[in-house]
Amino acid sequence: MEFFIQQLLNGLTVGSVYSLVALGLTLVYGILHIPNFAHGALYMMGGYVTLTMMSKSGLPYWLAIVISMIVIGTLGVLLERLVFYPLRDAPPLHDKIAAIGILLFLEAFAQFVWGADYQTMPTPYGKVVNLFGLTLTAQRLLIITSTIAIMVLLYFFLKKTFIGATIIAMSQNREGANLVGININKVAMMTFMISGSLAALAASLASPINLVFPGMGHLVILKAFVIIILGGMGSVPGAIIGGYILGFSESLGATYISNDYKDIIAFVILVIILTIKPTGLFVRRGQS
Amino acid sequence: MLELRNVSVQYGSFTAVQNVNIHVHEGEIVVLLGSNGAGKSTVFRTISGLNKLSKGEIVFKGNRIDRYSPDRIVQLGIVQCAEGRKLFSRMTVYENLLMGAYIHRKEKEKIKQSLNHVYELFPILKEKRNDLAGALSGGQQQMLAIGRALMSRPKLLLLDEPSIGLAPLIVEQMFQIIKQINKEGTTILLAEQNAHAALHIAHKGYVFENGTIAVQGTSQELFANDNVHKAYIGT
Repeated sequence: MEFFIQQLLNGLTVGSVYSLVALGLTLVYGILHIPNFAHGALYMMGGYVTLTMMSKSGLPYWLAIVISMIVIGTLGVLLERLVFYPLRDAPPLHDKIAAIGILLFLEAFAQFVWGADYQTMPTPYGKVVNLFGLTLTAQRLLIITSTIAIMVLLYFFLKKTFIGATIIAMSQNREGANLVGININKVAMMTFMISGSLAALAASLASPINLVFPGMGHLVILKAFVIIILGGMGSVPGAIIGGYILGFSESLGATYISNDYKDIIAFVILVIILTIKPTGLFVRRGQS
Repeated sequence: MLELRNVSVQYGSFTAVQNVNIHVHEGEIVVLLGSNGAGKSTVFRTISGLNKLSKGEIVFKGNRIDRYSPDRIVQLGIVQCAEGRKLFSRMTVYENLLMGAYIHRKEKEKIKQSLNHVYELFPILKEKRNDLAGALSGGQQQMLAIGRALMSRPKLLLLDEPSIGLAPLIVEQMFQIIKQINKEGTTILLAEQNAHAALHIAHKGYVFENGTIAVQGTSQELFANDNVHKAYIGT
């Protein structure tokens, strides 16, 4: 039983990272109505910026994360302005091609600046803690708690503030939002800012456990796509719940099936969901 | 108050609206008549800044607004209740109304007043305030769309086909409410296919045919015009 709960905790950790990435992806999908393939590259850049801030500038972990969130958020805004905004009247295919272009560019950029080597990110939270008889590293505890804190903040922002609600409004009806006086350019920029920051946070939290390298975003973004398909494209609660479902499935699958097949689980789930319920699990009535 | 001068709008090489002149005075109800695809909605979208005009100019209270963005036009006080309603279907009725007051978001007291006013005009919205907008009936959605537009306290309200798809009894009710909104000081520009009911409450009208204005005049003149009568009012 204890072993099982231990696995659940692992699932909670992995699921938290997935949820953060999927949240950014689903928010941008709601606004742009295109899948942002470059989101994984933002995740990767976030890992590198945090690492660089710590190793080169000697900043503490937390400060490095905050700076990384700001930098990657700004990078997201730049992408919106320079790439997606000029394409707003073009066929959707152009956005997709552009997103892949950004992905290739950012990966080549990372390889050029930081090299292709795998790098480790040090963390001040390497200690093992005991919690109700369970052992886990402080880093994992940090991932879980800070993710939940960010989600609560995001929930209040989207649900309880006018500015946050503009994101929801625009994702539900772009012209309707425009016609109540919402500046949709500002909303698009804000959404990319949030999306980029979430990716940077996820990468910075996960990197001490995984590693930092130019391709670190590949598997994460593929799984994030599985999650938002699972949760319904553009759905915020769907991204959160979907992230945790995938996290739990992976950690339980790794234990009880085989660790080698861990990464396949996401795609098996995808195939099953698309066969049984192609609209996603959490699509409410009236949602298109 | 609002003046369209020689306005033309193109979609690609197709000219949807050609050389249209419309004049709306403060306090009036002005109706645009015409069949589907005659260009009424295009005119509305262009006033709201959703479409750009290819020729001419639009002047509101002495300022040219035809290059303004849609949100800036709303801030000036021109608010459109569009065809197809454009509601936020997964938000509640209350949240939709609140978003309507977006440009007044810092004035809590004002929002409360507007909300009460809308609930007075449409009591059903108060009753259903916690329902999702997407779950309302067509008539209720239309009321919500008008209510949301009123939340921004427009000086000029553009109503695109408010009677479309509504039961006859509700249509009549809807026109009474439009008349009341006008009496309370909001100028109204109305696009309608239901010419009979619209001309009853309007001061003057323009009849659209193939993107141009075919006939214009006061409501009495249009009622008396044989062609208009035959084409849009019936017997």
